[in-house]
Amino acid sequence: MTAEWHETFLRMVGRWGLVLAVMLALVLLSVIPFRIVHLGEIRPVFMLMAVYYWSILRPAPPLAVFAIGLVLDLLSDYPLGMNALVLVAVQALTGSQRKFLLGQSFLVIWAGFALVAFGAGILQWGLFSLFNMTLVSAKSMLISAALSAFLFPLSVLPLAAVYKALADDLTTMP
Amino acid sequence: MPTQRSQKPVIQSMPFKTVTLRATPAVLILLSLTLMVLHKADTLPVERIRAAAMDIAAPVLSAVSAPFTALVDNMDSVTSLRDLKAQNIRLEEENEKLQKWYEAALKMQAENQSFRELLNVKADPALTFVTARVISDAGGSFVESVLLPVGARDKVQKGNAVMSGYGLVGRVMEVGQSASRVLLVTDLNSHIPVILQNTRIKAILAGQNQELMKLERLPPDSGMTVGTRVATSGDGGQLPADLPVGTIVSVGPDGVWVKPLSDIDRLTYVQVVNAEIDQSLVTGDVAPMASKNK
Repeated sequence: MTAEWHETFLRMVGRWGLVLAVMLALVLLSVIPFRIVHLGEIRPVFMLMAVYYWSILRPAPPLAVFAIGLVLDLLSDYPLGMNALVLVAVQALTGSQRKFLLGQSFLVIWAGFALVAFGAGILQWGLFSLFNMTLVSAKSMLISAALSAFLFPLSVLPLAAVYKALADDLTTMP
Repeated sequence: MPTQRSQKPVIQSMPFKTVTLRATPAVLILLSLTLMVLHKADTLPVERIRAAAMDIAAPVLSAVSAPFTALVDNMDSVTSLRDLKAQNIRLEEENEKLQKWYEAALKMQAENQSFRELLNVKADPALTFVTARVISDAGGSFVESVLLPVGARDKVQKGNAVMSGYGLVGRVMEVGQSASRVLLVTDLNSHIPVILQNTRIKAILAGQNQELMKLERLPPDSGMTVGTRVATSGDGGQLPADLPVGTIVSVGPDGVWVKPLSDIDRLTYVQVVNAEIDQSLVTGDVAPMASKNK
């Protein structure tokens, strides 16, 4: 009985450790100064990809997503709560369509992400404009959303690998 | 149709845990909105929280970003290898031109010196710098700011000017113990008092979250010309005077647009100008933290 408990505990630690490491890597990818040549400031929204993809395969607790959003808000210069709001909203929305998306081909999931990327971008743009009481330029947001949608298949590979590594735990999950 | 059929039993058998997990997004979204409102209303010590977060994250970011900085620098050299020959010719021509300018500058410096002595001008104190590597940028579509691994420990103060090799790139907005955040001149919230170098007309240079900045509060009919250099005016006492910022690239009905001298998108190393700031002159957004940082 105790051995079993011990094993479960270790597995939990390993699982969360792995997820945490991936999340940390994504946070770093979102704030570290690297440039895609000729695109300048614009980069894809990596965190969105992870939240979307994992929301379909196996949703994380919304609180974790909220926390990661807050960390992003703190490290970047966004209004406190903005990334958190967008990520939680994306997770909730994707989660509500989870049953539908699970059985679909990758193309449909990809198309779904494109919708989510633009939706999240527009939501963020609206919130940011509201926060600054002025209409900010939406150009870089649109390019970033398009870039995210375009690069989604590539980013899914590492995300899927992590999912597979966790897969032996999944039989016990709902 | 099949989806409808499969949904029904799921809802019926949804365990209690799932119900609570479903309910929380709404709560969390409300919480986020509340945070944003509190942030906007300045009731939260956001700057202090951010400064603490910066201090914690700075060592990690510093280590992880180092190879990326090297990559950016190397990428520049790789692209230039391709057209090395053309570049060489261009540089030689430029060098010739600059030699002439150098002579002219020496002459003017001497002349300036003698005038200063004649007039007994009280010169601005010489500026000192701290050089730092950019360890993080905001990485979003709506914010233009970078993080530096220098802070109060290195005598960085809120409001300090930040320069690249070419000109002003921004100013320090938040200061932690070992890290600080720089609001770039292209950010929507950046408004810098500037002076046009040929006509001495004063204006405000406002960031627009895009590559170019806009001149605001211009006197009417102030006859702008493309190519005019724009420098800080030193008004307001926050930034030292005469730091070059950019050049006018377009004058039209939609305003006067200025391009920054430095490549704002690809900053690797920058200098924080450690000028002593009269904190009583620091106003607006910059004010609340300034006194606490002392």
